[in-house]
Amino acid sequence: MTTVDTDSDDRIEMREALEALLGPDIGDPVLLAGGASKEAWAVDAGGERLLVRRAAGGVIHRHTLSLAHEFEVLEAAYEAGVKVPRPITYVADLEGREAFVMERLDGETIGRRIVRMDVPEQLPFQLAEELAKIHAIPADRLPFLAEARLERMVDELDDVGEPHPAIELGLWWLRENRPEPRPPVVNHGDYRIGNVVVDERGLVGILDWEFAHLDDPVRDLGFGLVRAWRFGVDDKRLGGIGDVEPYLERYNRCTGLDVRPEELDYWELAGNVAWAIGCLTQAQRHLRGQERSVELAILGRLGAEVEYEICHLLEQVAP
Amino acid sequence: MSERPTGQELTEAIAEFLGGEILPILSDHRLRFRTLVAMNALGIVHRELQALPAEDDAERRALAARIRAGDVPAGTLGVVKADVEARLRIASPRYLDRYT
Repeated sequence: MTTVDTDSDDRIEMREALEALLGPDIGDPVLLAGGASKEAWAVDAGGERLLVRRAAGGVIHRHTLSLAHEFEVLEAAYEAGVKVPRPITYVADLEGREAFVMERLDGETIGRRIVRMDVPEQLPFQLAEELAKIHAIPADRLPFLAEARLERMVDELDDVGEPHPAIELGLWWLRENRPEPRPPVVNHGDYRIGNVVVDERGLVGILDWEFAHLDDPVRDLGFGLVRAWRFGVDDKRLGGIGDVEPYLERYNRCTGLDVRPEELDYWELAGNVAWAIGCLTQAQRHLRGQERSVELAILGRLGAEVEYEICHLLEQVAP
Repeated sequence: MSERPTGQELTEAIAEFLGGEILPILSDHRLRFRTLVAMNALGIVHRELQALPAEDDAERRALAARIRAGDVPAGTLGVVKADVEARLRIASPRYLDRYT
């Protein structure tokens, strides 16, 4: 990960706050570049490599979990044997904002680098196996998780208030062609290349649990197929790193489910619709002054790429 | 308006970025000067765009409302895709190469 320059005052204050939390034997905290809505500080303490995830500007959308709840989800995943950074402690007030501390994993997280790496052939299998473990986490362990519905996407689009016929057409098709719903399970909510740590041996860990919710299991299974998360390697439908068939077969074997390829197609389209709306809501954060940023602003226009993909997928299912 | 951010809003975002994040870290005088000139140029674009009439999105708005109401006659997808393609030719023309 790349680091960013921070005022030395910020860093000194963060070091003092972390010393109070983790003990005197700590190194200098370094602010890592990355998420817009969360800060990530790398720090070594007591011989351990740690990462502090701390609230920043705002949330990506209103269904984002608080850091307290995200920490509970991380704990539940860790207990269930999912490959995740070991959760260490939640802090309600770290220099004025909530935060939690977890293990810092070694490996690559940047999507466009991962798709150009020589990743092992097992990576699609590992992604399927970890997802099966996530979906086996007992939902009553995390009673605060809400169940997502298609209508939620419509509400989010209406909040934006711009006309987007391609998104409407995608939503219409999803309403008309909904497969028999499967019993909802704990969904990671953003399960894709870009939110996982990968090294030359394959999958190291799964990050970014802030969109966890209850949903159809195939929702998570299909999200990683969305073209935007192939980072330019479009012919590898699974996140630019592999084929879908072995991934689906391994997932079915691990879960005992019988997910059909057509269901995966449905949820791939749903994932694109969700991300097309996500681009617009991100741009709104800039336009409404919640967080002024060129990066957020331009997403409002780049969302047209995702809308084009929605049209392309609709041509496949309904020529 | 349906193209958000508008061209004008994009120039504002770039001006804020240059003035707020780039200018403060530039110590080279020539670079500082050129950045200020670039921001002035951006101001010209901003005011020129202001003089243009706002985009008329009535047709797009009507189409979106019809689809929402479930009125999707044959040929709708073609109309929608052509509209997205026209927007992409402005926003990200190279993206279209990924489908050939």
